Amino acid sequence: MAWAVLFWLLIFLMNLALIVSSFYQLLCLVDLEDDHLNPFEASSRINFWVVPEFLLQGLLCLLLLVTGHWFTFLAALPLTCYNAFLYMKRQHLIDVTEVFRAIKVEKRIRFVKLGFYVLFFVMVVFRIFAVGTILVYHSEFGDLDIRSSFLEY
Amino acid sequence: MGTENPGRPSFPARPSATPFAAAPPAVTPFLSSGPVAGPGVSSFRPPPAAPPNTLPSVSFAPPAGSDGSGFRPTPPARFNDPSVSSPPTTHVPPTGGPFQRLPTPSFPSMAQAPPARAPPVSPQPGQYFPGQVSHSPVSFRPQPPPVPMGSPPQRASYAPPGVNFSQPSSDSSFSAPRPNSQPSFTPVDSTYPSARATLQPPIPGYATMPPNAVSQMPTTASLFPSHQGSYVPGPPGPPPAASPFPAHQGGFVSSSTPGLHAQHSAPPVGVMQNLAEDFSYLSMGSIPGSIEPGLDLKALPRPLDGDVEPNSLAEIFPLNCHSRYLRLSTSAIPNSSSLASRWHLPLGAVVCPLAEPPEGEEVPIVNFASTGIIRCRRCRTYVNPYVTFTDAGRKWRCNICSLLNDVPGDYFAQLDATGRRIDIDQRPELTQGSVEFVAPTEYMVRPPMPPLYFFLIDVSISAIRSGMIEVVAQTIKSCLDELPGFPRTQIGFITFDSTIHFYNMKSSLTQPQMVVVSDLDDIFVPLPDDLLVNLSESRSVVETFLDCLPTMFQDNVNVESAFGPALKAAFMVMSRLGGKLLIFQNTLPSLGIGRLKLRGDDLRVYGTDKEHVLRIPEDPFYKQMAADLTKFQIGVNVYAFSEKYTDIASIGTLAKYTGGQVYYYPSFQATNHGEKLRHELLRDLTRETAWEAVMRIRCGKGIRFTSYHGNFMLRSTDLLALPAVDCDKAYAMQLSLEETLLTTQTVYFQVALLYTASCGERRIRVHTLAAPVVADLSEMYRQADTGAIVSLFSRLAIEKTLSHKLEDARNSVQLRIVKALKEYRNLYAVQHRLGGRMIYPESLKYLPLYGLALCKSTPIRGGYADAHVDERCAAGYTMMALPVKKLLKLLYPSLIRVDEYLLKRSGQVDELKNIMKRLPLAAESLDYRGLYICDDGFRFIIWFGRMLSPDIAMNLLGPDFAAELSKVTLSEQDNEMSRKLVKVVKKLRENDPSYYQNCYLVRQGEQPREGYLLLANLVEDQIGGTNGYVDWLTQIHRQVQQNA
Repeated sequence: MAWAVLFWLLIFLMNLALIVSSFYQLLCLVDLEDDHLNPFEASSRINFWVVPEFLLQGLLCLLLLVTGHWFTFLAALPLTCYNAFLYMKRQHLIDVTEVFRAIKVEKRIRFVKLGFYVLFFVMVVFRIFAVGTILVYHSEFGDLDIRSSFLEY
Repeated sequence: MGTENPGRPSFPARPSATPFAAAPPAVTPFLSSGPVAGPGVSSFRPPPAAPPNTLPSVSFAPPAGSDGSGFRPTPPARFNDPSVSSPPTTHVPPTGGPFQRLPTPSFPSMAQAPPARAPPVSPQPGQYFPGQVSHSPVSFRPQPPPVPMGSPPQRASYAPPGVNFSQPSSDSSFSAPRPNSQPSFTPVDSTYPSARATLQPPIPGYATMPPNAVSQMPTTASLFPSHQGSYVPGPPGPPPAASPFPAHQGGFVSSSTPGLHAQHSAPPVGVMQNLAEDFSYLSMGSIPGSIEPGLDLKALPRPLDGDVEPNSLAEIFPLNCHSRYLRLSTSAIPNSSSLASRWHLPLGAVVCPLAEPPEGEEVPIVNFASTGIIRCRRCRTYVNPYVTFTDAGRKWRCNICSLLNDVPGDYFAQLDATGRRIDIDQRPELTQGSVEFVAPTEYMVRPPMPPLYFFLIDVSISAIRSGMIEVVAQTIKSCLDELPGFPRTQIGFITFDSTIHFYNMKSSLTQPQMVVVSDLDDIFVPLPDDLLVNLSESRSVVETFLDCLPTMFQDNVNVESAFGPALKAAFMVMSRLGGKLLIFQNTLPSLGIGRLKLRGDDLRVYGTDKEHVLRIPEDPFYKQMAADLTKFQIGVNVYAFSEKYTDIASIGTLAKYTGGQVYYYPSFQATNHGEKLRHELLRDLTRETAWEAVMRIRCGKGIRFTSYHGNFMLRSTDLLALPAVDCDKAYAMQLSLEETLLTTQTVYFQVALLYTASCGERRIRVHTLAAPVVADLSEMYRQADTGAIVSLFSRLAIEKTLSHKLEDARNSVQLRIVKALKEYRNLYAVQHRLGGRMIYPESLKYLPLYGLALCKSTPIRGGYADAHVDERCAAGYTMMALPVKKLLKLLYPSLIRVDEYLLKRSGQVDELKNIMKRLPLAAESLDYRGLYICDDGFRFIIWFGRMLSPDIAMNLLGPDFAAELSKVTLSEQDNEMSRKLVKVVKKLRENDPSYYQNCYLVRQGEQPREGYLLLANLVEDQIGGTNGYVDWLTQIHRQVQQNA
């Protein structure tokens, strides 16, 4: 059970990182639009985070798959596929020369992504609590069997 | 009401207008319509109220009054109205007539009123009628079409009013329209605001009036019959009408008569054209029916006079900047976004900030010195002729955001009685639309940079063989004295093949030192300080270098090109200062970063969804590099010479995002193209250049520029970064309405270009332009500027080819033309059966042809085989930067016949003008006994007819006359004829110095050269499965009619 909690905590942290990353990118775009940031800087800042974000999302997806959390995995899958698709088409990075033409779309994409991450976040938090409660519940009642059996494996 | 008539009020706003002209129109309409509405019919007499203001109206008042019955005056009034242009007068009579007779019918008709106009008047139809009707004539003006297409008889009727009525038979032709016409007539009233708007321009200058008047006359005529039919009693009307009428006629006999005659004699289309030539205000043209074989090819509209700039705006707002600097796609800005959405053409502007002014019209330079540049506190608008001074000269009101600003003490001047500053004559910024301010240090982020030219020259074997290096070295050397910015000018060179060669040109050396770097992976710059030197100090070293350059590499057999690394090196050398980087590129980059693949030959890609990939840069390196170059104020001009595929798509990106341009000389050979390269390089190096520039265009509240098209990079949402700009670059932009309804009557645009002049002064060039806001779609169409629209179209189409198939780009052009014409047709569909006629606004008569030419232009024509991908891309990059006039010439080249001139005895220069008669670009224009020059601004194609007299050929070509012409170049022979031809060619070249037009000689029937040189230029013909002009029109017409 402790592993489960740890696992969900890990997922939780990764998810948090994803949220922060996409929020940061969104912020850069807004700054760019309001002329607080020049396109060179904005695009280099954003592009710096794109690949790590994709990798993290991929990793998260993989972890879920490996650990057999089918439902959560399926929830995370679409975005991962979309990322992979962008990457394959080489459209994942912001094109500094045409930022302003794409800014609306890019903003929307990141906004949707952020929403997705937040939903996912809620889900993960829920799972953590669920797992945590079970853990607490079981430990409270001193049901060591489960834990011990868990540890054995 | 106010919002309904925005058009009109805007005119009064015109600063220059005399008080008299300005005030009356604005006021009278309101008065008349307002009060009139209440009183009803009787009110029509009051027109006199208006008369006081305007002369014409007064004169007419009498007839109206004397007649007593409103009705009679009707016909005359119509005529008068237009001619006089005073709305008030018109009011009265018409009102009385129609309404008295059939009050009831008129109402239903209202319901039918054209959608566009309906709103303004419709609210209170019943009451208004009197007042409104009076305007009807005006509103009808836009309908001249009925006349042309209609029937000469009607016209005729117009002259003698009586005839008019006695012509039921003539009506028969019109029988269909009739029923409609009557109801439609009423609706017209509602149009009145629009009509007004149009009327006004004339008011200021009476001279301009005739066009309106005349154009209306036909309308009027057409109206008559309709009335007559509906209210048979009409006859009584005529007599009275007659009397006023002649009087009018006298007024504008000169203009009106030609039109009339033309109508009688010529076929309908011809008529339209005649009218078109005479009257710029004619709002519609028509093409005779059906476009069946009967369609007269000769009568189709063709821009044989080149680009004719609409000057109506300049007349209304004489303080505007000249149209060579800024052109709007329509000079009437829509007042609501719903109206804008019905204008299916691009809504925007084309800016050429540094266009070359003719002698004597240079932009004045203003130095505010200690005062600082006067700008609006809030919106940062620069002071311009449209700001108003108030509070005894202590404050000024910004014309763009209407904020009240303080006038700085040093800039203060008293106001005279009319509210003008007493020193206005000494202030060019308050009297001219284009000025240049000297910018103080607040406008600099660093000391103004010196003009800097850096050359990146390919010295691989193909560059040597083609002779390019020799020409380049000679040309640079020859213009060292003329480089702008002496003595601060900086210069530097890098050459490359598989390695990169740097040249140390320190002034203390006697000979340049060459340093070779062969590590392409980790570029470093040796001697970073001595690679870029001051030209005046190192002059002798530079000259020595240029002398040696061609010989230095003459035995080079290197076929590789380390272009990417060399570019990086050049970037590192230049990044400290910025400047202009000239790239001479001969081989596909094959080594190091940025190497490119041979991808252009892939036949299979064409026609698939991946086709566009060939037209965008393959390697992100180039885009990134372009962005970096822009960031450090480096502008790139690419000279490409290869005979093989060199991926201009990728390399041209460098020029595209740095505000540069691409010169492409496929299969360059010094003997053939040397002169062209020499001329264009010389011009590139010596023309006045604006360094480290940024440009912004501001506009009034409620509208916003949303997209920009051209060669530049956006630095923020509305700031164009232009490392190097010159007079040959133009930028296009589209605007959109942010607010649903514009409440102002005039919109102002201000282009500001902040740049460093070659002399080291920081300057701001400001162009200001005012345009009226209108509520009426037909007014927008009437004020359209085909040149600007085509310019925007072509840029949009070229951009589309970067992400779509060529076919899609062509279709989108066609679709937009169709949509626009359909919308225009709908405006008038209610009033008459258009049947087999195609109608379009006079201002857009060339649009379909230019659209066709655009679809046949190099960047978007045909498919794989029709143009090499490099050629396409190069042409695309070029067209993205071309100013309007040059673009139009490229799209519709001028074709002139010269053999007759050559045969003439005396070849005076002034006779040259006579022969410069442009011919339609169709094979029919070519006489096989003739000699023609086709000039598209980039090259001359000299076409020898098959039966051209051998004398001429022999005289012109000398002994080679029978040889294959592809190997012959035109050179001056020792005889009169040849000298004349050379003179003609020279003269043509002088017209357009931005490019050098190489002469290509081609003989009729000499395939395939004739095909791609000349025949591809004959845009009106059917070539290889493309549409001819007639088919194109038929097609457009058919699409317009669908669901119309």
